[in-house]
Amino acid sequence: MTLSCRSVVACLLGFSSIAGAVLAQQGGATAQPSPPGGQQVTFNRDIAPILFHYCAPCHHSGEAGPFPLLTYADAKARARQIAAITSTRFMPPWLPEPQELRFADELRLSAEQIALIQKWVEQEAVEGAAADLPPAPQFVPGWQLGQPDKIIEVEKPYTLAAGGSDMYWNFVFRTPVDRTRWLKAIEIRPGEKRVVHHANILVDRSQSARRQESQPGTGFAGMELKIESETFDPDSHFLFWKPGTVPKPEPEGMSLRLDKDTDLILNIHLQPSGKPEKIQPSLGLYFTDKPATLFPMLLQLENDRQLDIPPGEKRFLVTDEFTLPVDVDLLAIYPHAHYLGKDLQALATLPDGSTKTLIHISQWDLNWQAVYRYAAPVSLPKGTTISMRYTYDNSSENPVNPNDPPRRVVSGNRSSDEMAHLWLQVLPHASADSAFDPRMLLQEAMARHNVGKNPADFEAHYNFAAILQARGVSAEAIQQFEFAVRLRPQDATANNALGAALLAAGRIDDAISHLTAALETQPDNFDAHYNLANALASEDKFLEAIEHYRAAIRLHPDDANTEANLGSALAETGKLSEAKQHFERALRIDPHHKLARENLEQIARDLKNPQE
Amino acid sequence: MYRASLSSHSVVIFPFLVAAALLLFALPFSLAAQKSALHLDGTPADPFLAASGKPVVLVFLRTDCPISNRYAPLIQQISSRYEAKVAFWLVYPSKTASATKIRQHEREYGYKLPALRDPQHALAAQAQVQVTPEVAVFDGNHRLVYHGRIDDLYQDFGHARSAATTHELDDAIQAALSGKTPPRNMPGVGCFIADLE
Repeated sequence: MTLSCRSVVACLLGFSSIAGAVLAQQGGATAQPSPPGGQQVTFNRDIAPILFHYCAPCHHSGEAGPFPLLTYADAKARARQIAAITSTRFMPPWLPEPQELRFADELRLSAEQIALIQKWVEQEAVEGAAADLPPAPQFVPGWQLGQPDKIIEVEKPYTLAAGGSDMYWNFVFRTPVDRTRWLKAIEIRPGEKRVVHHANILVDRSQSARRQESQPGTGFAGMELKIESETFDPDSHFLFWKPGTVPKPEPEGMSLRLDKDTDLILNIHLQPSGKPEKIQPSLGLYFTDKPATLFPMLLQLENDRQLDIPPGEKRFLVTDEFTLPVDVDLLAIYPHAHYLGKDLQALATLPDGSTKTLIHISQWDLNWQAVYRYAAPVSLPKGTTISMRYTYDNSSENPVNPNDPPRRVVSGNRSSDEMAHLWLQVLPHASADSAFDPRMLLQEAMARHNVGKNPADFEAHYNFAAILQARGVSAEAIQQFEFAVRLRPQDATANNALGAALLAAGRIDDAISHLTAALETQPDNFDAHYNLANALASEDKFLEAIEHYRAAIRLHPDDANTEANLGSALAETGKLSEAKQHFERALRIDPHHKLARENLEQIARDLKNPQE
Repeated sequence: MYRASLSSHSVVIFPFLVAAALLLFALPFSLAAQKSALHLDGTPADPFLAASGKPVVLVFLRTDCPISNRYAPLIQQISSRYEAKVAFWLVYPSKTASATKIRQHEREYGYKLPALRDPQHALAAQAQVQVTPEVAVFDGNHRLVYHGRIDDLYQDFGHARSAATTHELDDAIQAALSGKTPPRNMPGVGCFIADLE
């Protein structure tokens, strides 16, 4: 599937503990007594509890806040500033409006708390009695989840220039696993936290993004990127870092799969600080021996095609709607737009007609984008319609409008382009039929929705076809792949996929023509060589098949299936001893490779009785 | 009416602080000298004295203000452009920013400009600036012709444009050199100088 920008938070707490933690925190932060009318507001009694809870997690040494806010002296040296920026709600950064569905770790000051800070400053910001000062919060230095099982650091740091506008950089982490492992957490250390606005990890199972590096390990620029995947493997986790993020392990059962030869792409938003900054992020991997038993999934609503915003337009509306084909629990939500985004809203309309606001941000600010986790999972029954409603301000009154004067803006991956995305992390309710994966149905409904929305969109057709193929709906899959190839006749991935689908359906000649087309545009496409070889072998064209198996092995020397099939083709042409070597190699790669073992036994018999 | 104008905290508190400092440390400066800005070696400084007939630009900074820090490359760049014609000074309006801290800050951010300490905010008051980074531009007769923001990169806290669309500091320097009308004073976005004692 093709996915674009996403993210986040490595992790949800176990559900019950989330609710518990949030209640405890809110209790701690809001229960401070506000002094009765006329009484002196003091730092120690009234202000410190607010700063310790809402500000200090970022504003302490080593964290993203540009100065500490842990002591009276720290606060006194910023007193007017604190009063000003809390009153405008610039700090603490929390974009969503208050709503019925609560989020975990809400960072929104109450009107009373803001008024208290104002009053403190008006009354000359006094310190107060030492006995009133609550204990300062304790922060763990270094890795927050303890020593990781494995630490991976980017090979080549990126140097952010002293000046200029915001920068988006992608680091490619080569993952250090030689077999499939399960992760209970990934802790992101984004490098110099004071210049990193946010960071998120994309799981690149086909190592496609690294092609954009000028040299291996250098990383590459870009705000949004696309990750290719040719199997049914929907993204499941938000892996997101923002200032103040405290990493948490994945909930029980929701471990994250990490395969051999998977890249983790860390997409980072950087803001120049005035001096050159060396950025060298690292990731801490925490393994578990428990494979996932619960399979959340990321759903994306979007309508980039609607984005064509005339200059001067103050309220340009973009919408999308998707109806859930299964019951789900909504765990987290991540709205995304660029600099023209203004009012971002998501709503759920339940089958009984009732509505729930899932999120409402009335003053969107890309700099503080975040993944919002719900304090408790939100149950949304089958038939619920999720609607996204975003407005954009492309006038010169929008201070962060990247164009001066404003000009027409359409969708795109650069920061001066726009986006209209809404990601939801949902956990489909378990189905009574254990063989049935409700994620498939969700994915299929989503793909069908996208094809309907964007009938001329190559990726929509390709993705829909890939899901149909995975579900075994072969005829419709071929039809959708054909739409995709018609839209991009040169595309190697689509030609290969169509070829593979045709091959599976027994249409060998059609398959060969598309697989050949795939190799014309991309001669180093492993899959196309392998599939074409199989197609040729099924027509007894073994000599040609052997050439393509060999080409495939040059590209992927450790693929057991290719070795075994090459062995079979060689055996068919009578080259038994060479065939034997390849079966043996297949078994060295995969000792359980059934076909290789059986063929090897067959060869042993043939060599014993050469006349037969 | 006249009394009411004295209600500003700095005016009321100021004599007390000076008296306390004199009493405790017995610094070798007169009361007037104590109010003035200081060179990094601790001697009283008058940024106008050495710049006879030349425009003077005061750039107000704080070592730990992220917004003023972000301007470092631009400030350095503009100052190099007018190197021989204009006297540029970095001014740190803080008691706690020591000479060592200021030298380190200059090194880190690549400043090659002379710096002054302004612990009593004497220059800040004279320049009528409120936040870091604001600038004050004085013409060749050392009359204040502009004070306020450097440009309009920041609209508000956290709201930076991708590039500035106005360039008040540059315009004001050109006005000071040519005698033309300076830009209108525009307040800056940044860290409040009044928070610094």
